[in-house]
Amino acid sequence: MSQALERLVRPIYDALDNGSPKSALVACNKVLKKHPNNELVKALKALALIRSQKVEESLNVCDEVLAGKPTDEAVLGAMQHVLRGLGRHTDAVTMYEEAWKKDPGNEELGAQAFLANIRAGHWKAAQQARQLATKLSKVFKREHYLYWSVMSAVLQANASSTPENMRKLLYQLAHRLISSSPTPSFQHAERFHLHLTILRELGLQDDALKLLGNEIGQYICLTSLSCNEIRREILSDKGLTVEEGSRAEKLIEGGDRNWLEFVAVLEAVFAPRPEEESFSTADEVARVRQLLEEVTTKDGSSDRSGPLALLDLEKRCRTHNFATGRMIALLKEYFEKIGSKACCYEDLVPYVQLEGEELSEWTAYLQGLASSYSPLEDLQRLINCHKLLRYNLSSDAITVESETALASTYSQQYLEALPLGKGLPDTELQPADDLAILSGHAFVNLWTLTKDETYLWNAVSILEYGVSRSRPSYRMRLMLIRIYRLLGAPQLALEHYRLMQIKQVQHDTLSHFALSRSAPFSLASTGDLTYMSEHIEASNIYVTNITDTSEYTVRAFTQEKYSQIPEFIKFENQVECSLQRNIAKMEYLRMRLGFDVVSAEVVDMELIDFKFIFDRDHFDNRDFNPLPNYQPRQSPTLNEQTLLFGKSENLGWLMSFMKIYVRALQDASDLDDSVEDKLLIGDRPQPTKPHERPLKERLCERTEEEMADLTDFELSYVHYADALANWLGPHHDHVRPHPSVVLAEAAKLSEAKTGQKFKGIDIPPPPANGNGKKEEDAPPVTEPPSELLAFFDEMHARFGKLRDAHAITEALAIAQIMQEAFVLFMCQTLRFKQNSVVKIHKLGNLVASFKPVKAKMVEVLKEVGTDLGRMSEKEGNAPRRKEFIDGCKHLDHDFILNVAKRFSDARHDMLAGYGKGIPRILGLYPN
Amino acid sequence: MSILRSFKACDMFTFNNVNLDVWTETYSPGFYLGYLSRWPDLCSVQESPTGTMMGYVIGKAEGQGSEWHGHVTAISVAPEYRRLSLARKMMGLLEFVSDQNYRGFFVDLYVRCTNQVAIELYEGLGYSVYRRVREYYGSLGLGKGSKDEEDAFDMRKPLSRDPGRRSVRSNGRDIHVSAHDVS
Repeated sequence: MSQALERLVRPIYDALDNGSPKSALVACNKVLKKHPNNELVKALKALALIRSQKVEESLNVCDEVLAGKPTDEAVLGAMQHVLRGLGRHTDAVTMYEEAWKKDPGNEELGAQAFLANIRAGHWKAAQQARQLATKLSKVFKREHYLYWSVMSAVLQANASSTPENMRKLLYQLAHRLISSSPTPSFQHAERFHLHLTILRELGLQDDALKLLGNEIGQYICLTSLSCNEIRREILSDKGLTVEEGSRAEKLIEGGDRNWLEFVAVLEAVFAPRPEEESFSTADEVARVRQLLEEVTTKDGSSDRSGPLALLDLEKRCRTHNFATGRMIALLKEYFEKIGSKACCYEDLVPYVQLEGEELSEWTAYLQGLASSYSPLEDLQRLINCHKLLRYNLSSDAITVESETALASTYSQQYLEALPLGKGLPDTELQPADDLAILSGHAFVNLWTLTKDETYLWNAVSILEYGVSRSRPSYRMRLMLIRIYRLLGAPQLALEHYRLMQIKQVQHDTLSHFALSRSAPFSLASTGDLTYMSEHIEASNIYVTNITDTSEYTVRAFTQEKYSQIPEFIKFENQVECSLQRNIAKMEYLRMRLGFDVVSAEVVDMELIDFKFIFDRDHFDNRDFNPLPNYQPRQSPTLNEQTLLFGKSENLGWLMSFMKIYVRALQDASDLDDSVEDKLLIGDRPQPTKPHERPLKERLCERTEEEMADLTDFELSYVHYADALANWLGPHHDHVRPHPSVVLAEAAKLSEAKTGQKFKGIDIPPPPANGNGKKEEDAPPVTEPPSELLAFFDEMHARFGKLRDAHAITEALAIAQIMQEAFVLFMCQTLRFKQNSVVKIHKLGNLVASFKPVKAKMVEVLKEVGTDLGRMSEKEGNAPRRKEFIDGCKHLDHDFILNVAKRFSDARHDMLAGYGKGIPRILGLYPN
Repeated sequence: MSILRSFKACDMFTFNNVNLDVWTETYSPGFYLGYLSRWPDLCSVQESPTGTMMGYVIGKAEGQGSEWHGHVTAISVAPEYRRLSLARKMMGLLEFVSDQNYRGFFVDLYVRCTNQVAIELYEGLGYSVYRRVREYYGSLGLGKGSKDEEDAFDMRKPLSRDPGRRSVRSNGRDIHVSAHDVS
């Protein structure tokens, strides 16, 4: 770059780096006035335009630069960002490839062309990448290019769309390539890892073992955990359990305390052995037991591997029918040793699934332990003892009386033990926390047994008290989030959720706690966008994932960290195709429809998005583990007990709702596939597998498996939606304008917006008679299906019962689903609002039949709105607070009063808000 | 005791019980991927026998000449798994790899001057204060002892390549530098 040019473009780069694309744009235009053909400035202008959200204008500039086939590295660098911003990865690949073709001696261009394929990240790109890497390695004779080609072959083989036979061929190719390397792979741990992966995949474990057996191989496994992991897998493939066991034994004797080594020793005890006359399993058990006892004695309380491995050996002996009988003794010993550590309960759970006499002995032992709080070790012991006893409670021992007694024991001991943590800073957890958590568990269990809401108030009180003393206790917050949702006070749930300060990828794994089935909690209809913005906030991670993660895959290539590459790709893909992402998107749409009036624009945008999602894989990254569970093993888990309406939003839920909305939006939209293909910017996401049957057919299918994820009222809604779509779908299809008409309209709009001609799209000539369909094809007009009003009647009756029972959350859910059904009806009938359409297609009778249906819906919804308002009057007042306080006597009065007030006020606002929102939504559709 | 294994990108889906803690930051995925794409052998995870993540360490190798060393960027253990020597095991591996693979002269780490428990732990592992870095941490807004809260000790432990222990000094607590002076 010349100095003069450098001076001109520096301010543009600075403006872009500082996040002020507008001033970058101004600077670009200034330079372009003098140098209208400067490629770099044009490329930067395209970038500035994207960053200012002017995508359409950027497209024009971008295409102009691409047409000039740039080779300058600065231009290419800028263009790479432009194309990534537009999602045009394939074009980025072509750009670099063309550039390299023009300047084949330029190694950097070659490498960039390879890496552009890696960024594009689909299997076809992997194939191209492999070819490029092979070429690079031939031309520039650098070894890492050879490894790039090996890695690309592996990636191509692993892509889900690669057929099985092809997969094998690709691994064989990778093997040939790696064997041709002038220096052996073990000179480099990461190359060695790649080599082992390939050998393992091809069933060449013996070759792998040879490499692993030599000195360097052994050394690498010592310093590279990932190589050691694949070594373990290869040994296990070969069934070399006994050999691995003796190896692990030596490591343990040398002081290694990795639990995997203990597992290896334990696995070897009962592993099948070749006929050895002298071998006796009983002797082997005794030998290993002695070894573990020695470890136990040697380590004392500093490490728990020895005693835990002894328990595991005992358990294995039982499954192999070896005479034992030491389980209880070992459990007691373990508890004596480790009982004062928090992990004791989790450690012991796999070994305390006891029955009969053993169970009585174990229970008697635990019950006989003294309950003391001081020193802290004793408190932890007491907590572990409670958890272990609770775990084994039999179903007939769990009664309202027994649980009430336990709940009060736990709370009382909690309050007594609290002073122990008095001096701790408020960033620390309190040592007594788990007693409050246990009390919360008992109260939730009582609610499950009786459905008496007072128990949940008690749970809320003790947990609120707990978090007020132990601010960082996210486990209590998660319990509160769940319980407040059950109680219809979602605003309080959201407050706790926010205090957990969820960040980054946690938005994908943890947001389900606050956002699952949140449509009934959204007050968007009243202009309160709290929930909608929470959804938007949570969705940022998906944007950064798609722009950033592939960059690190590229980095792993340039750093030759091959072991990481498949993991990065897996991570990127799992975030991109996250089930939670799409569930949240669906909830968001449901909320949006209670806020935005349904228009053609809304319909088109949502349709394109949802169609993509429909044919994708879905990965469930939701993490439920942070929610504690100390319920008895015979009972449902705390997670199951506190799910809203007892159902998790799973894939079946998503697919059921997707089918409703993709169908409805498709009906309402003018975009068919051919139009969409032409208007779409960027690469179209590839479906994971090709589908044999068309989308339209698949949308109409309902499977039992999917429906099992729905609540009964959601199920009714599905039937309603299907009936509506079956009724109006044929009319939509008949009336929808021809693609050429839609395209011409889009071109006109785009020209008006950008002032430039709509490029790159040929608009087919419109058919002579308007939409190309004959009049006699018109579907017959039929009466509205009975399911529509039947749904409203059913839901209305149900709502009445819930109103009388003051069952708030469910009442809200029913109100929401009726409201949603109303909006869906408006969406499906939107097209027939245009008088010209009705006239041309003689749909007067059809349109006339909408009126009474809508009138009935409006009438019912109005009533529901008023009723919700009335329900709200029961909340947020002194009698309600008193009732709450009377129900929760065990805690400080002033504290409870405050909890009661906030709780009841939150419920009041929720009900009143929802009630007021309904007429507003109805008002969005006056005609 | 636990399972010691390599840190993998997808561990970001399950590290919540470790990260839901005031002292542990959840960075952008790029932060973890950046480390994994350069020093995967300096990043490891401890997992319970039942498969729960208990803690992890993220490290790197950096520095010029005799300052070439392994660095502990983040080490964290979930509250319920503390006092089980997990940090000790992960540090042991990081030191071993820094020594054997990277041939570093020492391993270092930063710790809040107020974090007495951690400082004692590291001292027990052979680390000593090399210098005090002023305002290394942004304020946590806690008020009490805010100076100690914001300042960090840079603690070091020499490796086999530094038999003369040139990378450490005995009066490190008295040597103050500003945060701009360290990488």
